[in-house]
Amino acid sequence: MHCLPLISCMLVLTACSSSYKHLQRSKEDVSCIQKFKPDFTNALYYTEVNVVGKHLSGLLLIKLMPDSSTRMVFSNETGFKFFDFEFSKDGNFKVFYIIDQMNKKPVITTLRKDFEIIMMQPANMQHGYMSRNIDSGYNYYAFPQEKGFNYYITDSICNNLIRLERASSRKAVVEIEMKDYTNGRPDSIGITHTNFNFNIGLKQLKKL
Amino acid sequence: MNKVIATLVFIIIACSVKAQHAGYAPVKDTAVFRQQFAAASQKINSVQSDFVQEKNLSMLSEKIISKGKFWFKKENKVRMEYTQPFQYLMILNNNNIYIKDGQKENKISTSSSKLFQQINRIVIDCVKGSAFSNTDFRINIFENKQTCLIELSPVVKNLKDIFKTINVTVDKKDYSVLNIQMNEVSGDYTSINFVNKQINASLPDALFTAH
Repeated sequence: MHCLPLISCMLVLTACSSSYKHLQRSKEDVSCIQKFKPDFTNALYYTEVNVVGKHLSGLLLIKLMPDSSTRMVFSNETGFKFFDFEFSKDGNFKVFYIIDQMNKKPVITTLRKDFEIIMMQPANMQHGYMSRNIDSGYNYYAFPQEKGFNYYITDSICNNLIRLERASSRKAVVEIEMKDYTNGRPDSIGITHTNFNFNIGLKQLKKL
Repeated sequence: MNKVIATLVFIIIACSVKAQHAGYAPVKDTAVFRQQFAAASQKINSVQSDFVQEKNLSMLSEKIISKGKFWFKKENKVRMEYTQPFQYLMILNNNNIYIKDGQKENKISTSSSKLFQQINRIVIDCVKGSAFSNTDFRINIFENKQTCLIELSPVVKNLKDIFKTINVTVDKKDYSVLNIQMNEVSGDYTSINFVNKQINASLPDALFTAH
């Protein structure tokens, strides 16, 4: 019984401890991760979304426009459009269309941030630095955002992209895997939100 | 003077018709057309066909093309199976919709959603030839030598928010559907072309149930 306060304190301390406390800052350059920047000149992905018990599927078209902005259109298999977003090169973002059911600020902000880290837009890649995880040996390339950080995690020689993390100062809120690069872009992308039940899976399609 | 006005009016009408659907003229006697259409549709008990779907994104100057197989059986059964470049199955059976995408299966009762009911009815109406009785739309009919074009303009708000018009092109030979084009308010459209059609082939009911 006397142990209870001690256990409670330990639990609180554990909960407050940072997932990034084993990172050791390095002076190494961050440019090596540019090779993982996906080539979204014109890409089509089969997309499945699971959000708090609801399921959506369809096609996500990503296209680089002549003005250097990137358009992203998600529609279901029969052509019914869910959203149409524009990510401009300077970091601006515009919603061209979104269905009423998805037209909520937290939904749009979450999707925007998830795809910004994936697209590796220059505006989100400022003031980066590299740290090494002394436990795993992985390189953590950190880029401060308005709130929190974007991390690109690679093996120790920056040859393989292990995962991406959108994080607060203490822990990852989103984990993203980009696997099997073909034609300069990942064949599959998996987005997992750690604080609520919201997952997105993308699988590249060959256009007809 | 009257001749000049008449000529001007004729040019304006001709131009507006041309602007609506190039190569088509309005059907003069719509009542006769509806009767013929209804009579011909009565004879269609089933349709089996391949389809090519084209999603046209006007602002992106981009087309997404998909292909698959289509089956219809009277009264209210539709199976649409996308095979390229992805796998997707949709079965409409009376008031139920079954969807299989990737690894996920969904069963939806259209009675739970007014929009699902309306979209379900559009699909059935288009292939069954009963579109004229759908009060969700205002209907205009056009024709050329080989085909008729039935233009459905939504009059109810929830459909008006999504579609500008739905154009159904039917073959004058047998009044079967050649193409359905759903035009969105944004200028984008989805066009479905039905090819390699077989009318009244024997289709087992099992095609329209979830396995």
